[in-house]
Amino acid sequence: MLKEKLQKFFKIDRRWIFLLLAVMLFIPIMKPLGLPNKTISRDVQHSFDFMDKVPAGSFVLFSLDYDPSTRPELHPQAIAMIRHAFKKNLRVGVVTYIAGSTGLIAEIFEKVPKEYSKVYGKDYVVFPYMANPVAVMTQMASDMYGIYNKDEAGADARSLPVMQGIKNYKDMALVVEITGTAMLDYWVAYVGDKYHIPVIGGVTGISQPGYGPYLQRGQLKGLLGGMKGAAEYESLVKVPGKGTSGIDSLNLGHLLVLALISISNIILLIIKYL
Amino acid sequence: MKLIKKYIPLAIVFTFGVLTLASYYVPHKVSVDYTELVSQWENIVYAFAFLLGLISLFYSHYNKIARKADGWGYSIFVFVGFLAMVIPAYISGGKQGSETGITLLGWSFRYIYNALSSTMFAVLAFYIVSTAYRSFRIKSKQAFVLFVAAFILILGKVPLGQIIWDSVLGWTKCGVSDVIEWIMSVPAVAGKRGIMIGISIGAIVTSFKIIFGIEKQYLGKD
Repeated sequence: MLKEKLQKFFKIDRRWIFLLLAVMLFIPIMKPLGLPNKTISRDVQHSFDFMDKVPAGSFVLFSLDYDPSTRPELHPQAIAMIRHAFKKNLRVGVVTYIAGSTGLIAEIFEKVPKEYSKVYGKDYVVFPYMANPVAVMTQMASDMYGIYNKDEAGADARSLPVMQGIKNYKDMALVVEITGTAMLDYWVAYVGDKYHIPVIGGVTGISQPGYGPYLQRGQLKGLLGGMKGAAEYESLVKVPGKGTSGIDSLNLGHLLVLALISISNIILLIIKYL
Repeated sequence: MKLIKKYIPLAIVFTFGVLTLASYYVPHKVSVDYTELVSQWENIVYAFAFLLGLISLFYSHYNKIARKADGWGYSIFVFVGFLAMVIPAYISGGKQGSETGITLLGWSFRYIYNALSSTMFAVLAFYIVSTAYRSFRIKSKQAFVLFVAAFILILGKVPLGQIIWDSVLGWTKCGVSDVIEWIMSVPAVAGKRGIMIGISIGAIVTSFKIIFGIEKQYLGKD
């Protein structure tokens, strides 16, 4: 009798689970729990420390390759790292190899530079979308103006003050790649390893464990993983953003997954030995 | 005919394959110039591939609509989505609206593409949670190890999990972040390295097979 009752749990209409998750995600969005993020993971700390030590005025290349599907995790990472770069008075260049990124990049640069009184063309530049990333990365090694002769608005890239003294990777201090694709592997293999330029990555939580070998060998100087990585970087930069506010929903969502897996397996055990 | 359809393509693949491979290891100006030239050619080919992909997509969905195949209604949205992005781009001609401060394409991106793409991905979360409940069965020792590792990783990924760990296992003086760091740097890296080496060897072997004309499937059936 009890066995049959318990078995009913596995036949539950999945829409109830959908509803439960929706409620769990919705509550913290409406009323944030404000739980403290106690720890900063090693790889996020390394990313912060590396960027922090780059001398003011150096050129940092940001490759922002994510679209709205991975926006909740990666957009806060990009914003936090660009804030840090501006705070340190670094020159910022932005490239992208995902067409869907262009609108998100525009959103970042509509807002963030104003917070630090940064001027387009003098302190930062955004380059247009390019297809075929590996070919572009290879080309940039000798002369980046062979591909990026104009900025996003069509102005001559060479004449922009922010690009003075920048011709190829040798003139850059750091590459930061934020992506929900395999683009970070390309930056490591075709640029970081080959031209000895430091690379820092920002990836989705699900792909984070895959970059362990690169971190251990020093091929990646640091890594931000998912929304937690963004929240940690925001706390290091001391400007809370969407990463910090989104972590509450993530809290409850993750715990719901754990609770559901545990409950279903406990029920299975009871059914087996009943 | 065999010369045009078989031998010339194989010769082109062999020549460019060997030259491109060599250029990666030769830091001479000639090699760098060659890489630059091929990169530019590649971009041109890429642009044609985009166009070809678009035509193929439209053709396939047009056929679905014409034949009223299963789910043909969804195919209409391929065209609707395409036009919703392309028409505003052409109409605005890159000019920003005086009130919005963005172009019409920017508006379409922000309020159509952004919302649709995020929604599609967000739906995944609901399926994952539902599947986790129904399908994650611990039926073997290996599955149990996987469950324990996943449990700790998920728990440690959020502050609430860290609080729970500290209150239950705080007496061990071993924080959840230490355990995660160990899982990520030892077993996860070992597994990932094995996979990466396997994939790389596979890719190298396949590349050589293509360069030396052993693998010819890309030439088609004729």
